[in-house]
Formats: sequence, C-alpha cells, structure tokens
Amino acid sequence: MDTTFKHTSVETSTGPVASEPTTLGTDLEQEVGETVGDAFVDDPRMKARNVDVFYADKQAIHNVSLDIGRNEVLSMIGPSGCGKSTFLRSINRMNDTIDICKVTGSITLDGEDIYDRSMDVVSLRARVGMVFQKPNPFPKSIYDNIAYGPRIHGLVERRAELDEVVETSLRKAGLWEEVKDRLDQPATGLSGGQQQRLCIARTIAISPEVILMDEPCSALDPIATARIEELIAELSENYTIAIVTHSMQQAARVSDRTAYFHLGKLIEVGATDKIFTSPDHKLTEDYITGRFG
Amino acid sequence: MDRLQLDKHTSKSFNEELEAARKNLMQMGGVVEQQVREAIKALIEADSDLAAKVIAKDERVNDAEVSLDEECVRILARRHPAAGDLRFVIAVTRTVSDLERIGDHASRIANHAINLAESGEAPRGYVEIRHIGERVSRMVQNALNAFARLEVDTALAVLHEDEAVDLEYASAMRELITHMMEDPRTISRTLDVIWSLRSLERVGDLANNIAQHVVYLVEGKDVRHNSAEEVEAAVRD
Amino acid sequence: MTDILNEMATRREQKLKRSLSKRYRQEVVFKAFGVASIVSALLFLVILLWTIFAQGHTAFQTTQVRLSVDLDPVTLGLPDNPTEQDIFRASFGTVLRDAIMAKIPEASSRRERRAVIEFISTGATYDLRDKVIANPELIGQTIEYWALAGDDLNQFNKGNIDRNVDESNRQFKDNQIAWFDKLDANGDIKTTFNTNFFTNGDSRDAEMAGIAGSIVGSFYVLVVTLLLSFPIGVAAAVYLEEFAPKNRVTEIIEININNLAAVPSIVFGLLGLAIFLNVAHLPRSAPVVGGLVLTLMSLPTIIISSRAAIKAVPPSIREAATGMGASKMQVVLQHVLPLAMPGMMTGTIIAMAQALGETAPLLMIGMVAFIVDIPSGPMDAATVLPVQIYTWAENPELGFRENTSGAIIVLLGFLAFMNATAVYLRKRLERRW
Repeated sequence: MDTTFKHTSVETSTGPVASEPTTLGTDLEQEVGETVGDAFVDDPRMKARNVDVFYADKQAIHNVSLDIGRNEVLSMIGPSGCGKSTFLRSINRMNDTIDICKVTGSITLDGEDIYDRSMDVVSLRARVGMVFQKPNPFPKSIYDNIAYGPRIHGLVERRAELDEVVETSLRKAGLWEEVKDRLDQPATGLSGGQQQRLCIARTIAISPEVILMDEPCSALDPIATARIEELIAELSENYTIAIVTHSMQQAARVSDRTAYFHLGKLIEVGATDKIFTSPDHKLTEDYITGRFG
Repeated sequence: MDRLQLDKHTSKSFNEELEAARKNLMQMGGVVEQQVREAIKALIEADSDLAAKVIAKDERVNDAEVSLDEECVRILARRHPAAGDLRFVIAVTRTVSDLERIGDHASRIANHAINLAESGEAPRGYVEIRHIGERVSRMVQNALNAFARLEVDTALAVLHEDEAVDLEYASAMRELITHMMEDPRTISRTLDVIWSLRSLERVGDLANNIAQHVVYLVEGKDVRHNSAEEVEAAVRD
Repeated sequence: MTDILNEMATRREQKLKRSLSKRYRQEVVFKAFGVASIVSALLFLVILLWTIFAQGHTAFQTTQVRLSVDLDPVTLGLPDNPTEQDIFRASFGTVLRDAIMAKIPEASSRRERRAVIEFISTGATYDLRDKVIANPELIGQTIEYWALAGDDLNQFNKGNIDRNVDESNRQFKDNQIAWFDKLDANGDIKTTFNTNFFTNGDSRDAEMAGIAGSIVGSFYVLVVTLLLSFPIGVAAAVYLEEFAPKNRVTEIIEININNLAAVPSIVFGLLGLAIFLNVAHLPRSAPVVGGLVLTLMSLPTIIISSRAAIKAVPPSIREAATGMGASKMQVVLQHVLPLAMPGMMTGTIIAMAQALGETAPLLMIGMVAFIVDIPSGPMDAATVLPVQIYTWAENPELGFRENTSGAIIVLLGFLAFMNATAVYLRKRLERRW
C-alpha cells in the first residue's frame, strides 16, 4: 500500500513528502475496476442490480449492484458528481421528473421491481420516503406538514387518528416537545435543524419502509447535525435508511455499511468499521483520508 | 465521569462506546492488579501453583489489550473525538499498554517465584519484597481508582508514592548487593529476588505513568517526565 | 522567494494610492450621474403633476348664483292641477331668465340681456324642473334657488379668466365683470363642490359634464377583461410551465406570447373591430367588446408574469411534495399555485392598470362616441375614462380644459391605487421560505 502522505490539506502538502511527483489521473485509471467488498447482504430490503443511469447521452451511473439491508443504515459517500445522489434518486424514481433521465438494470423493493409497469410511482414513494438536502417544509402549519402525506394518500379515516399520527411522527423525530404548543404555526418559522426534523417526521408520517436521505445535514449547524444523526440512529431500529452524505465523518458516525462511489461507479462497499479503518480499495482510502476529492 | 461528561453526547451510541471502553479498561485493570498481588504472594510463599496461574492470566490481559485497542481505533475512525473525548481515548490506549506491561512484569515475578520455589528460599530480601510489593500494588490500585473516578488528587498521591518506592528500592538493592558479597553461594537465588524487586519497581513506574495519564485526561496537561512536585505545581495553578 | 506577488507587495503602497484616488473619482462621477438622472426624472414628474393639478383642481368646484324664482304657473305655462308630465314640459327656462334679469335690471340691450341670461347654465333648468317635480307644492311660490352658473361666469369666478387682461382679449367683458361684482357684493355668488362632475355623464356644456358614465364604462370593461384574462392567463401559464412538453411547438408558442406583449395596442383594436364587430356582430361601443379587446392585450402580460411567479416557486417545495407521493396535479394545485398566487395577482393588477389606461384599441371599436347616459350593463354603449379624457381634450372651451385635467387626476388616482394594491399584495402575501 502506498503510504505517501499526499493530503489535500495545506500543512501536509507543503511538507517534504509532497515533493514527490504524484499524478492523480494515472492513479485513478489504474484503480477503477469491479466493486470490492460486500455489496450484498443476507436479508436485503432493496436490491439494485446492474443499474445504469443516463442523462441524455451522458452516463451518470455505471453498472451498480448494491443491497440495502433490512433496518440498516447504508451511507453513500464519494466526491461531488460521483453519482451517489443520482443513485439515491433512482431508488424512489425521483429521476422520473427529469425527462432526459433513463434508468436501466433492476431495482427491487421487497422483491418487486420498482421500474415495472405494475409499480405505481405514487405508491412507491409512499413506501420509499425521501428527505432532501435543504429542509423544505411546506409553507403551511406544522400540523398540516405532517398531515399532508396521510391526507393525500387517504391513510387515515378520522381526525383523532390523524392527530395521533402527527403526534407519533413528531415524537419519533424528537420534535414533539419543542412544537407541541404551536402545531398551528407556520413550519417555516422553525429553525433549520427543526425544519429538517420536521421533514423527517413528515416522511415518517406515511410510515415508509425505506427512508432515503440526500445530504440531510449539509445546510445545518453541527449541533443540529448531531441531533439528526442521533435521530437516524434511533430510526434505524424500525426503518431501512440510505443516506447520501458528503461528510465522510458523518457516514462513519451514523452508518452500518458504507458504499464509496467514484465517477459513477461503485468502488467499494463494506461494514463502516472496515471501510474507515482498513479499506481494501486504494481510491476509497485516498478519499476517506483526504488525499483527494 | 462528571467533569468530562463522557455520557452527555447527543449520540447515545457514542456514549455507549465510550462507556464500554472505560468498563473494559477497568476490567483489564482489575485482572492486572490481581496478577501483581498474586505474583508477590506466590514469591513470598514459594507457591508455584499460584505463580503458574499468574502466568496463565497474562493471555487474558494480552487479549484485553488487543480488543481495547481495536475499540479505540474504531472510536477514532468513526467518531473523530475531540477535546475531552480525544484525551480519553488517548489516555485509554496509553493506559492499556502500561497495564499490559505491568501484566508482563507480574508474569516475570511469577517466573522468579517458580525458580525460587524449586531452588529453595532466598535467605534475604523477603521483607523488602513484601514491603515494596505492598506499596506498588496499592499504587496500581490507586492509579486505576484515579482513572475510574477521574481524581487528580489520588493520581498525585500515586506520583509521590513512586518517589518513595524508588528510594526504598535503592536501599534494598544496596542491602542485597552487600549480602551477595558476604555470601557468594546465595547469588543466584538472591538475583531472582533482585529481578523481582526490579520488576516491582518497574510496575511502580508504570502505575506512575497511569497516574500521569489521569492528570492528562482530566487537566489536559502533559506531565510526563516531570517530578511529583512539578506535576502538583502544574495542576494547582 | 522572488515571485511577482512578493515583488508587488513592496511597491503596493504608492501604486495603490495613485489608483485609489482615480477609482474614487470614477465612483463619485458614476454616483453623480445616477443622482442627476433620478433628479431629472423626478423633476419631469413634478412638472407633469403640477400642471395637471393646477389646471384640474378647479374642475372639482363649481359656481352657483342665488336667484329668487317666481314659480308662477302662468309663466310656467301650467294648467290647473298639473300632472308630472305637465311639469316636465313646463318652461322653467323662462322663470330662470326672469329671475336673473331681475337681479341685473340695468342690462337693457339685446346683447347685454343675452350675456346676462348666459350667466345661468341650461343645466339649471333641468335641475329646477327635477326639484319641482319632487315638490309640486312649490308651484305658485317664490323660492330662493341656487342656480348653476354658466360656463363663462363659472370660469371667471374660479379665476380662470384674468380680469386685468385687456377687454378685447377677454371672453368675460367689462360689463359682465361689473354685474358679477354686483352679484358677488350681494352675496349671490357661491363656490361649491362640483357633484355634477362625479354624477353626470358627458354633456355639451362643460359645467354639466361629468365622468360618471366613463367610470362605469371603465368598470364594466375591466370586469370583462379580468373575468376573461385572469383564468385564461393563469391556465395558460400553468400548462406551459408545468405540463407542456418541451419541444418546438411550445417554444414557438412561448416566443409568440412574448411577441404579443410588444404588439402596438391599436392593432388589437383593429383585430377587435374585424372580429368582434364585423364577424361576431357584437354591439358597437359596448364594454363587452372593449373587455374582449383588452383581454387580448393583457393576456401576454398576465401569462408572462404568472409564469415568472410559477418559476419562482422553489423547486424544493415541488420535490418535497413529489417525494411524499403527491401526483403532478396535487403538486400544482396544492403547492405551486398557492405559492405563485401573489405574483400572479400582482401581474394581473398591473395588466388591469394598463388596460384601464388604454385608449387606442377602444377608439377602433367605437367607444369614443358621445354618450350622455350612464351605461347600465356591459352591453350598453359606453365610453371609458381615458377615451373621455381624449374626447374632452379636443374641446377648446375653458371648462372642458379643466374637466380634462380633472378626469386625468381621477384616472391617475385609480392607477396609483391599483399599483399600490399590487405592491401591498406582493408585500403582504409573499411567503418566505
């Protein structure tokens, strides 16, 4: 293993070791190949097999096969533009809204092909919820935000039941105590971290099987981030969670398994402990040690 | 765990990991402490069975060292601890390696105990062994207590104790050397006693190190290679 | 290290000083230009408003002359027990003439008598008639009556005719001034609020002419325009933004909508004339036709501003709703439209303000006709405020000149009110996220 310290941070790169000529490009060409590590698990909730994603003629994802295990937290990391968000969005067909986007290969949820004609996209999204990068509560009251999903899907019959759904969702998101006295106030008045927890509560309210999170903490301060991370840990008892993050520290903290993407390819998957202490692939090690990316 | 508040993180699993590391360290410390006491007892009472048991325990200590180190590496890799948490993890890894070496010294003493049991009692040195041994095992115990309760005062007491032990060790050495010169036939048996004393003195030094780790952990000050007075002055200001 | 940056650091101070003063100078000049342009714009605005107000404020006042009117049934030519019909036909003009002549007996020549009679507006005849019809018991009595003054007296009283001008260049002659002064000295002249201006339709007499007809006409036109253009415009904008496939056809449609916004308004008038009047045979001069034409004209504005409002809805809201499993329709109706509504309404109000001020296309469909009656529905012949202004502005009489300015003040008032409403709505309803 190459132990040259070529960190991207200034202190090390001005040090004597950095004077050795190393070119990034040649490293990458040598190293990209088949996925290493354990892409498959015994009890998968979702299975992706040979997934390619194209934007018009440009291929964004190359032949990715990956399982998301039941009640596990899978984190996807990688440099910007590596396709991790694109892959996440193809899991609940958010890419459908983009006309030029085309997905091939198969992605299944509990054995059902989500791109099959018999799979309705609305019901898929009720089963695979999504939390976005920027907290995006609807400009409505806190109550209506949570009640939105159950209402449009007609999940509850009575008002009392809806009240209960709202309370339970907020409790699970750790937000109940903070907002129980102002459920009728606009959600946009909450702080950023509270808004993001509200968005998570809104997603839980339709009791999905899988929750996808696309860089859920990138717009939050460290304290709010810590709360969201703790929430993720709690939610992983009941839900399957896939999280895309550009903070590898966050991936290390919250996830059970970590997948490393690079230039649209899945480079390495494995237990987070393993990935962060002794990754097998050189690209993975370079990325998580801050040598590029 | 009051001052460092290692159990007050937002992340519950982080709290649990730190608590587990602390608990495992204390368990390992308990084993090592027992090893030291039993080795001394085996030596004084020429109990080779007990000595064999002490040596056997070393494997457990070695395993504990490896697994605690792994835990610390995992915490470092996944949690990126900072400040008190970071000092805690660093102090744990250092203490683990000190404890492992204390365990090694205990095994060594046990080996000497077996030798002496076979070749007959050494004529001199038992008083010193008993005396220094008592002080050193109390030092190990106090150092571990200081770590468990994060008590700087207890740690300082250990540092002072070590200086006293060093003096006693020097005088015991002089006496045993004189004895060897007077009676060359006992040299080989007396050497076992001397090596044992030497090991006890090293155990005291290692307990001293652990106490210094406690000071580092609690106060954030690196006090290695300082005398007890200097450490005390640094802590008090 | 001999690098250019270090080298530069050594001579930075002096270089900086030189370049800084130049930069500051440029900044000052730039600012001065900006202030100058704003000041000149303000100056023109003030001049415009000042001239209009100076001329127009008197339109809101009128002059009345106190007369003792002898409502003798014989003079009025009434039979015994007159019916309402009889009173309607009675010659109130004669009693008024007698009354004003009684005030100024010294006018003897035919010319002078004529001038005195013109002191009273013909409108006073109708006013007195209406009064007597309302109270028939007045017949036979001599009543004190404040009669509406004729145009010349009115203008002189309000100071629009300067008495220091040489008599030959003055409409109001010296003897008239003498009579006026006599009446004034007796307290027979008073200046009051001009209710006629707000309650009457158009008239040949300036002192009788009002803007009520054109305001009602404008109102009907705007109602028709709003009812048609807002739903059509919003629907078109929603379809184009949210549902239309992005291809050549929609591209061409978009370009044409933008082009339509730049088409001169008279062209829309010609189009309205050709289609609504000549083909569809809708009534000429009717607000409904005006509304149709103005709908065509304001649609591009509404579509463009509505699309901008829809585009301004943050994509994160759409994503959130889509991610929750909302269908396209639900996303649009529940999230996009409510959020875009303030912007759409602002755009619509501004388009309406434009429509309110529009003249040219309405000329083409005959809304320029002289219409005395106040329209009672969108199918009645009517005129609108800006066209009324246009019609009055062609009249040379002093009275109409001030009426023109007065109507402009009212129109500006409406426009300012609508724009203020748009600004208020935007500020009030705009949601932050």
